[in-house]
Amino acid sequence: MIELQGLTKIYGDKTVVDDVSLRVDSGEFGVLIGPSGCGKSTTLRMINRLIPASRGRILLGEDDITRLPVEQLRRRIGYAIQSIGLFPHWSVAKNIAVVPGLLKWPKSRIDERVDELMGLFHLDAGELRDKYPHQLSGGQAQRVGVARALAADPEVLLMDEPFGAVDPLTREVLQDELLRVHRHTRKTIIFVTHDMDEALKLASRIALLNAGRLVQYDRPIELLTRPANDFVRSFIGKADLGLKLLSRRWVHQYQQPATLRGASDESVRISGYAWEVDKEGRPVCLHGGRLHAEDTQERTGVTPEWSATPDMTMKEALSRMVWFRVMVLPVLDSEGRLVGEVTMHGVMGQQPCA
Amino acid sequence: MRVATVKHPIPFRDWLLVALSVLLVTLTLFMARLEPLFQALFPDVSNPVYRRESFLQLTLDHLLLVLVSSLISVSVGVGAGLFVTRRGGREFEPMVSSMAAIGQTFPPAAVLAIVVPLAGFGFVPTVVALTLYGLLPVIQNTIAGLNTVPPATLEAARGIGMTQGQILRRVELPIAMRVIIAGVRVSVIINIGTATIGATVGAQSLGTPIIAGLVGNNIAYVIQGALLVGLLAIVSDLLFERLERRFTFGA
Repeated sequence: MIELQGLTKIYGDKTVVDDVSLRVDSGEFGVLIGPSGCGKSTTLRMINRLIPASRGRILLGEDDITRLPVEQLRRRIGYAIQSIGLFPHWSVAKNIAVVPGLLKWPKSRIDERVDELMGLFHLDAGELRDKYPHQLSGGQAQRVGVARALAADPEVLLMDEPFGAVDPLTREVLQDELLRVHRHTRKTIIFVTHDMDEALKLASRIALLNAGRLVQYDRPIELLTRPANDFVRSFIGKADLGLKLLSRRWVHQYQQPATLRGASDESVRISGYAWEVDKEGRPVCLHGGRLHAEDTQERTGVTPEWSATPDMTMKEALSRMVWFRVMVLPVLDSEGRLVGEVTMHGVMGQQPCA
Repeated sequence: MRVATVKHPIPFRDWLLVALSVLLVTLTLFMARLEPLFQALFPDVSNPVYRRESFLQLTLDHLLLVLVSSLISVSVGVGAGLFVTRRGGREFEPMVSSMAAIGQTFPPAAVLAIVVPLAGFGFVPTVVALTLYGLLPVIQNTIAGLNTVPPATLEAARGIGMTQGQILRRVELPIAMRVIIAGVRVSVIINIGTATIGATVGAQSLGTPIIAGLVGNNIAYVIQGALLVGLLAIVSDLLFERLERRFTFGA
């Protein structure tokens, strides 16, 4: 748990962080977001005392952070930054092992931990352990940076735009991995970004800052549906608000029982579409389901691209429906069996509660 | 063999280092055996090989001059470079840099002229001159080397909880080391050559036969001294090159 109380930073006569109070509970994924110069990075860097606070308090668990020796505090807090800052003269393994080394863990435990973390981030230990940072790809280096931050099992992980410098494709992969690691470790994370889509994808709580002040601190869905003021509204952006909303909705929230095709085409005629499944319950193809009801003869083969899983976002499911121009999408479990369907009508219908 | 050396320049350099070291040691120990050769080259000279001191003694004296002055240059130079890259010393950087530059532009002979009246003849004034002369490359490269440490690496080092001392010892110095050693290399090579002038103020070195040869119009002495100084410089240079390579990471 981390709690900021009336946190303020003043440089000369400029107040860059102004009386910010918020609390990120254990296991939460908190995101600090706002336009450039809103004080989000400064706030983050006050937590591990890279910048001293002018006023206010920060509690890490029960402890006021100013009461702890600064190096000891930092070793309890993982820290990952945009430019990664790997040590260029050390191998990947030594980079990851640095904080456990500072904490004087026994060597065997450090080695074990390095292997465990490399596995967690899908880094091939056999190939990469002894590589130097300049021999890594951007995505690999960033994974090593996050692994290093997690190495000593810190209570809190601070991340300052860690995926800002990688290409969009890699960024998406890294975001998915971070979510997976967060689910796996239940670490308290405080993550700084200026990208609303990234915040919506990752956060369990979003703190929106502007000109040093905390404008709104809420769950993502509330930020979208109940913006505190016009600034929040304009920062979220009006253009694709509907899609942003769907990026915080999941297929399982919209999922309905699938309409199966009987022996005849009766069901197709009634509902306009029906699924044909094989003996194991895997969908083979869809009969009908096109925009115009008379197209009941159309068949759509089920492929990995044209299907959904229960934990996919509705934004992605909608995108797949639009791309394949079919009004319904099969929902498959991990075995590939048909467990339900999502429909265009369902997307347009009642918004499920958050 | 030729193809192999082109393909693998490093083994070739190692081979060169071994060959030149052997040559250096052999010449130092057995210069006198070359008397017939020098006699043939310089038939007018009655004593074609310098014999007042042994070449082994001269080489050791020469090395001692270089070693002492380089040790002082390196400690003072690295110390000054560290000082002006710390938070408290940053404002002194221009002053330290220009002082080191003055040290180098001042000809060693002129330093000798100033120091001899103060410290007398022999070893001490020569060491002072060499030390001042060798300071600049060490200071310059220490500053340049420490400036190659990426700011993000320093930020990360601080952020994960390294103390100032740990950051310096485990991050800054190892990253800067290759460039610092390059500075030491230049400084030592310059001093190996320059130490010969110590002979003019009575500091015994490989400059002694050179000066004696110049005074006595005996080119053979000059060649013998110069040959060993040259070999010493090349061998040291190759050794430093190996040392630098050790601080290149993952290449």
